[in-house]
Amino acid sequence: MPPSPTTYRSTEVAGRIVVGVADIALCDDPSAIVVTYALGSCIGVSIYDPVARVGGLLHFMLPESKINVEKAGQTPAMFADTGVPLLFKGAYELGAKKERLIVIAAGGAEVLADDGHFKVGSRNRTMLRKLFWKNNILLSADDTGGSISRTVILRMSDGEVTVRTKGKERTLWPT
Amino acid sequence: MADIDQILDKVDRLPALPSSVVRVTDMLTSGTTDLSEIEQIVRHDEALSMAILRQANSARYGRPGRMFDLKQSIVRLGGKILMKIVLEQQASAMFVRAGAAYGLRRGALWRGALGGALAADQIARTHDFADKDLCFLCGLLRDVGKLVMDMHFGSEYLSLISKHMQPEHTFVECERAAFGFDHAQIGGELAGRWGLPERICKTIRFHHEPPAEAPEHDLLVDIVHAADIICLWAGLAIGYDGLQYKLAPHVRDGLGLDRREAELDVSLTWCRLHEIEESMENALVQEHDS
Repeated sequence: MPPSPTTYRSTEVAGRIVVGVADIALCDDPSAIVVTYALGSCIGVSIYDPVARVGGLLHFMLPESKINVEKAGQTPAMFADTGVPLLFKGAYELGAKKERLIVIAAGGAEVLADDGHFKVGSRNRTMLRKLFWKNNILLSADDTGGSISRTVILRMSDGEVTVRTKGKERTLWPT
Repeated sequence: MADIDQILDKVDRLPALPSSVVRVTDMLTSGTTDLSEIEQIVRHDEALSMAILRQANSARYGRPGRMFDLKQSIVRLGGKILMKIVLEQQASAMFVRAGAAYGLRRGALWRGALGGALAADQIARTHDFADKDLCFLCGLLRDVGKLVMDMHFGSEYLSLISKHMQPEHTFVECERAAFGFDHAQIGGELAGRWGLPERICKTIRFHHEPPAEAPEHDLLVDIVHAADIICLWAGLAIGYDGLQYKLAPHVRDGLGLDRREAELDVSLTWCRLHEIEESMENALVQEHDS
């Protein structure tokens, strides 16, 4: 079993595992808090198995790795199509079971008046849904869209996920 | 409502532009690179010397099995790269502790500044723009007005702006509704007080709202504006303002910026920033608070 927490570039500060942009953290330490700050068009995906008390958080930036295959090889968490499989495989290696996973997504915001030219946040949301649909994964909760910044916090003791915007927190799971 | 001059007069400890930045900016705007003068700047600053040694001996510029000393490193890197290292280091000292008023964690404003410089440099290269180094400098300094807002309003900033936040308005429009001016305007004024050339002041002033028509239109402003949006998509320096900004259609069309190029710029900017952070061995906290 891999050591816990298993992270790629995350840093642990005062009991908090901080997941950076284009980064993943996997964890089976029930005392840990896993957090990713300031999601804009990026999406944070939180997964948690309440029986095994194993979870993880991914902060991906762009939908498809084909835009920069070389960088995707070095930093798979940058893209949805390479980061999401890594998140789930990592959790399974720590003992999580797919059928028990609580999956939550937040972020995917847009700049104003995009007029469909770029839609980075929207394309991130679409790619995530496509990946989940193909793999029979249901989202337990999501908080996506708009133009706001979001911080996502996963509490490993019970899987509670909160989202913070402009200093105000609300619980996404349990609902 | 206070005006910009009153605030700039009142704010204690206004961020000072390091003399090394003034000297490098002079070289950039005049198009002359004086290696001996850069060497003088570097030799008087231990942190700069260390940064240059690290860069010259890095995987990108070094040679396996050989260590370059400072003199060799200066020759090896050359004037353009040395100027960028000077700017990165000195701007770091200005930006690294600021940004709390905007909901940014320590180091986030600095990451946004450097990200903007790298993105502007990337776009300028793609479009073979003659003033690539000015793009880097203006990308780096574009949000200097946030330093002033941070110092003047501090923790009151959020409550003041919150009353005027409208989701359909850009953040600079909301700032103008709340304060009578926005961070880009006050940044342009500060750059003027620093004695920076008018073109740089104008780029800072208009980096969120670049003029579309001649004679005000300037490709430098367009590139820094696009770089700012690239930074948002790369998740850099996103605070209370979120993504409440617009990419000007004339910039998108003028630069021929499409989805593929934009996403490539996002990934390249992020990777280059990460490389620099690793080479600086900087203990910045890398994320931002909402």
